[in-house]
Amino acid sequence: MSTIERLKKLFIDKFDFNVEELKPETTLEYLGLDSLDKIEFMFDIENEFRIKIPDQEFKVTTIQDMVDAIDRFVSEQLLSSPNLAMST
Amino acid sequence: MRRRVAVTGLGVISSCGNNINDFSANIMAGKSGVRRISSEFSNLLSVKVAAEVDFNPFDYFNKKQVSSLDRVNQFALAAASQAWKDAKLSLDAKEKERSGVYMGTGLGGANAIEDGYVRLFKENADRVKPLSVLMIMSNASASYLSIEYGLTGPCLTVSTACASSSNAIGEAFRQIRDGYADVMLAGGTEAFLTYGVFRSWEALRVLAMEDPDDPSKSCKPFSKNRSGLVLGEGAAVVVLEEMERAVRHGAPLYAEILGYGSTSDAFHMTKPSFERQAQAISEAIREAGISSEDIDYINAHGTATQWNDLLETQAIKKVFGDYAYKVPVSSTKSMHGHTIGAAGAIEFVVSLLAIKNQAIPPTTNLDQPDPECDLDYVPNIGRKGVKVNTVMSNSFAFGGTNAVLIARKTEG
Repeated sequence: MSTIERLKKLFIDKFDFNVEELKPETTLEYLGLDSLDKIEFMFDIENEFRIKIPDQEFKVTTIQDMVDAIDRFVSEQLLSSPNLAMST
Repeated sequence: MRRRVAVTGLGVISSCGNNINDFSANIMAGKSGVRRISSEFSNLLSVKVAAEVDFNPFDYFNKKQVSSLDRVNQFALAAASQAWKDAKLSLDAKEKERSGVYMGTGLGGANAIEDGYVRLFKENADRVKPLSVLMIMSNASASYLSIEYGLTGPCLTVSTACASSSNAIGEAFRQIRDGYADVMLAGGTEAFLTYGVFRSWEALRVLAMEDPDDPSKSCKPFSKNRSGLVLGEGAAVVVLEEMERAVRHGAPLYAEILGYGSTSDAFHMTKPSFERQAQAISEAIREAGISSEDIDYINAHGTATQWNDLLETQAIKKVFGDYAYKVPVSSTKSMHGHTIGAAGAIEFVVSLLAIKNQAIPPTTNLDQPDPECDLDYVPNIGRKGVKVNTVMSNSFAFGGTNAVLIARKTEG
């Protein structure tokens, strides 16, 4: 499954959104996510993608921004941590 | 000038019902909410009974709220929404500044703290749920109510174990009476039926043994064969309003709160002092400006521990004299269990329902009278069609805090 599909599934598991609302250009503000919602959701993202999102480094506005950030963390952390790569 | 304070809305989440009508019918009919608990860990425990609430959070909250609210906060919000609707409250910005929330809880977010520990110490995880702090902190329930209804006046959380929510209601009453607020949401909430909490109570050796014939009858207040308390969970919230305001907007008038007594045993953490309990009762009666013989019903603390039932009986005798043998006293903990931080509020609601129904709920499971507990405990069968104008609700806590509330039927 692609990053965006996995992300959409997380959104739907966690919140009462319709999948139609979850387009790449949809903003988190449009979805009504506040700062605490984001913190909670980052935890689910970390679990799903087996990554660590460092504090202050998840500055995202849209769902596409999230996808890009996740892909970046995944590739960076796979390179820096081969053990983690094997476990995923 | 002392202002009059009305109770204008009631809400309850309890093993005996998740709304006032069901709760009222079950308590009057002597139907117990005590049963064997559903949790998997129950087979590890020596005591497997509790008054567990049948509660599906998705009936009340969306997915996001369900994952970010501890069960204790869910109960508080669910009970408050009933009370708010019941009172038909609608406040403008100015009125909200004169409105507040006082809530009681014993353990706060007990489920969240235990979930966190299980993750860390049992599953060796290196992190806990992101909102753990907000789920665990004891003042979260009061804060959620303040946010939900936009109440910007005083917002406090009282934690005095078994007396928490009687203290919360009593102090909220005084906020309105003395002019600091016009509307208060007040009550208590508790949701602590976790493995660790059961083990802690088990270790203290105060839990009732399961009744061998019927687990729902395990809590036997004032009975010779009582063996201890049965833990329960739940919440109750009442709306308090300054009387003239309540009358003006046509709110239901369940009762007027007349008096509140608050004392400390200053003696022992678990062994009560009947003198200080009696002092709390006397102070509430004095503040109410009534005679002790005006009281038509006492909802006892009645935990069904050896000490409580004996000493509470003595405290009532000390204050009421000969009238102690005439006034009906019942412990509804025999049905809804001991809900600690919610107990005072749930039992205050029971007392107000006694006024509303003009009926006295029973002490259930009282088949073997204890010669040392010789008052009229309304054994097993409630009484309908009796005059109930003035009621008293007792709460006597571990740690020695005593809180007593007195309310009276409103005229008209």
